[in-house]
Amino acid sequence: MEIELEQGWEIVLRGFNKLKNIVEGLPEPQFTSEDYMKLYTTVYTMCTQKPPHDYSQQLYDRYRESIEDYITSTVLPSLREKHDEFMLRELVKRWTNHKVMVRWLSRFFHYLDRYFIARRSLSPLNEVGLTCFRNLVYLELNGKVRDAVISLIDQEREGEQIDRALLKNILDIFVEIGMGQMDYYENDFEDAMLKDTAAYYSRKASNWIQEDSCPDYMLKAEECLKREKERVSHYLHSSSEPKLLEKVQNELLSVYGNQLLEKEHSGCHALLRDDKVNDLSRMFRLFSKIPRGLEPVSSIFKQHVTGEGTALVKQAEDAASNKKSVGLQVFVRKVIELHDKYLAYVSDCFQNHTLFHKALKEAFEIFCNKGVSGSSSAELLATFCDNILKKGGSEKLSDEAIEETLEKVVKLLAYISDKDLFAEFYRKKLARRLLFDKSANDDHVTDLTLARENQTSFEEYLGNNANANPGIDLTVTVLTTGFWPSYKSFDLNLPVEMVKCVEVFREFYQTKTKHRKITWIYSLGTCNLIGKFEPKTMELIVTTYQASALLLFNTADRLSYSEIMAQLNLTDDDVVRLLHSLSCAKYKILIKDPNTKTISPTDSFEFNTKFTDKMRRIKIPLPPVDEKKKVIEDVDKDRRYAIDASIVRIMKSRKTLCHQPLVMECVAQLGRMFKPDIKAIKKRIEDLISRDYLERDKDNPNLFRYLA
Amino acid sequence: MRKEDTVKLISAEGFEFVISKEAAMVSQTIRNMLTSPGSFAEAQHGEVTFPEISTTILEKICQYFHWSLQYASGKETEFPIEPELTLELMMAANYLHT
Repeated sequence: MEIELEQGWEIVLRGFNKLKNIVEGLPEPQFTSEDYMKLYTTVYTMCTQKPPHDYSQQLYDRYRESIEDYITSTVLPSLREKHDEFMLRELVKRWTNHKVMVRWLSRFFHYLDRYFIARRSLSPLNEVGLTCFRNLVYLELNGKVRDAVISLIDQEREGEQIDRALLKNILDIFVEIGMGQMDYYENDFEDAMLKDTAAYYSRKASNWIQEDSCPDYMLKAEECLKREKERVSHYLHSSSEPKLLEKVQNELLSVYGNQLLEKEHSGCHALLRDDKVNDLSRMFRLFSKIPRGLEPVSSIFKQHVTGEGTALVKQAEDAASNKKSVGLQVFVRKVIELHDKYLAYVSDCFQNHTLFHKALKEAFEIFCNKGVSGSSSAELLATFCDNILKKGGSEKLSDEAIEETLEKVVKLLAYISDKDLFAEFYRKKLARRLLFDKSANDDHVTDLTLARENQTSFEEYLGNNANANPGIDLTVTVLTTGFWPSYKSFDLNLPVEMVKCVEVFREFYQTKTKHRKITWIYSLGTCNLIGKFEPKTMELIVTTYQASALLLFNTADRLSYSEIMAQLNLTDDDVVRLLHSLSCAKYKILIKDPNTKTISPTDSFEFNTKFTDKMRRIKIPLPPVDEKKKVIEDVDKDRRYAIDASIVRIMKSRKTLCHQPLVMECVAQLGRMFKPDIKAIKKRIEDLISRDYLERDKDNPNLFRYLA
Repeated sequence: MRKEDTVKLISAEGFEFVISKEAAMVSQTIRNMLTSPGSFAEAQHGEVTFPEISTTILEKICQYFHWSLQYASGKETEFPIEPELTLELMMAANYLHT
């Protein structure tokens, strides 16, 4: 059965009108399956008829035309007469209707999609339908719509309640009208919305920056960012989120960043000073979002820490000049506390960000390398450790506390450039602790163990050889030279009683081994003397030097400075020190004439028979020589060798190298232990040239060559 | 089978074939109709008249629906078609988008 075009079209049109009515909400019965099949069949037939009655093309065209007619006659007028929010609602309604319509129509006209459209690569029916809406409705109205939406957004920003669902529906239109592309949404809405947002926050920021303190401003900023993020989840398309937040961050933070940080009484400096950790955490969160936002913050942080550290140094200097020796110990403790405090800041407020770790490190490197009253920080740290570890040190700590504290010292050590200096000081003090500290953990030191074994067999030897007995109880500690710091030995003239001891031990030692040479270090020895004083007999614990001096008074009542020095065969330095300890310090075993506080070469001394103390047994300390100078000398020497070795190593592998790079590599290689002086490196290079390790290039004096 | 799960297909001569919806929806056309937005009136649901399709063809088509469902689950069989039905069957298949 053939259908003519107009005949068939009439049927279709009827269906179309029915659809219109349903969609407009007019009373109209729903489609029956019969209705459906009728329409479908009509279209089908019109498309499968033999030409010239194949009406596919016409149907395709009329499909579009009908939709366009409907839009122009009904949809557009209803939209044009409304404004603002009412217009938006109408648009949503019309769009929804339209979608329903197109869906139905596509079903009816479905046969077109299957063959006609496919064969000619035309736009499918669905697309045609939506395009009609886009070209007629959207194109005309999107500007107005956009403005209405943005206006509502700004109202919401000011605190008013708006219909979020409506906005969501509207913005969905922008998205859907793109039919897979976001172009319309982005170009017709998002761009303008972003611009408006930027302007809005720019206005707000310029007010707030004048009126608000830094913490308050930051609170507001954080709140705004939170709200904008919520806005996205409520009705904006998710792709807008990063762009939107970026705009807000830019206006609130990037533009006014520096002004904010540098606010006089509430900016970053003030917050650090007042320990406002919450505000600082917020600052970090906010500024980490903008490009290079953290750099100024970390820079202020570094300044602040440096300031605090330098203040501590000054404090310690002042205490030292007031002769408070505890000051130095306290100084190190305070530096440790400072480090703990700001390390906590870095991990809590600044989320362990590398920039801040770096700032902390650089700050500490600056003030940790300042010495205090002549003592380098390396020495201070070594002294601090010594005090903690030795028995009778100024701190009494549990083993746990000791370990904890030492761990912190290690962290500080990382900042000190003269690490080798620290090592040397530490070694010296360790050696002293091991030798004299009865509580020292000498199990770990094999040498001392051997020494003790030695002593035991010495005592056996004495027991077996009655005539060898020196008459005095003698304990000898034999050390292997290489394992210990070098100690100067002096040719002390021993008192007669002791001479015999030395000989007896020497004989004993010969029985044990013939291949070793013994050097006696009298400066480290101790003696127990019995002093027969008039009030009561007392036991004196003194050093060997002091004992030698005192024993001189067994045979003479009064001796002059020069006589004592001649008898003992010691240097002025040593004699002054030891006589001072015996006559001008706490216990006056000798009476000095004249009775002044210092020793001079014209003094003379007498045994103080009337000396007494409430204790029966006292220790008379002999303050040790200041080894500081020696340590520094030793370290300097070691450094020269280290520099030499480093230069040779570098040149050997490079064969030729210019001056600047050579110096730089040298500094880098040695950096782990100390910061080499550039002049020193230059000198060592010259020295190596004169020793034929290197040579200068004939044409280029800046270039060195390795000589194998 | 419950009434809601079936459809009635009526041939040109008025023969009614009641089959499951699942089978009927092998036809894209029928499927489109049954899944259209805006529901049909309740009473009308489930009945489709095909004034252009004869009973014999419609019967064959229903058989095809069921065969197709079986084939979809993996059992391979051949669908027998009598040669004299071929042309009409093809056209019906086209119409029903099967």
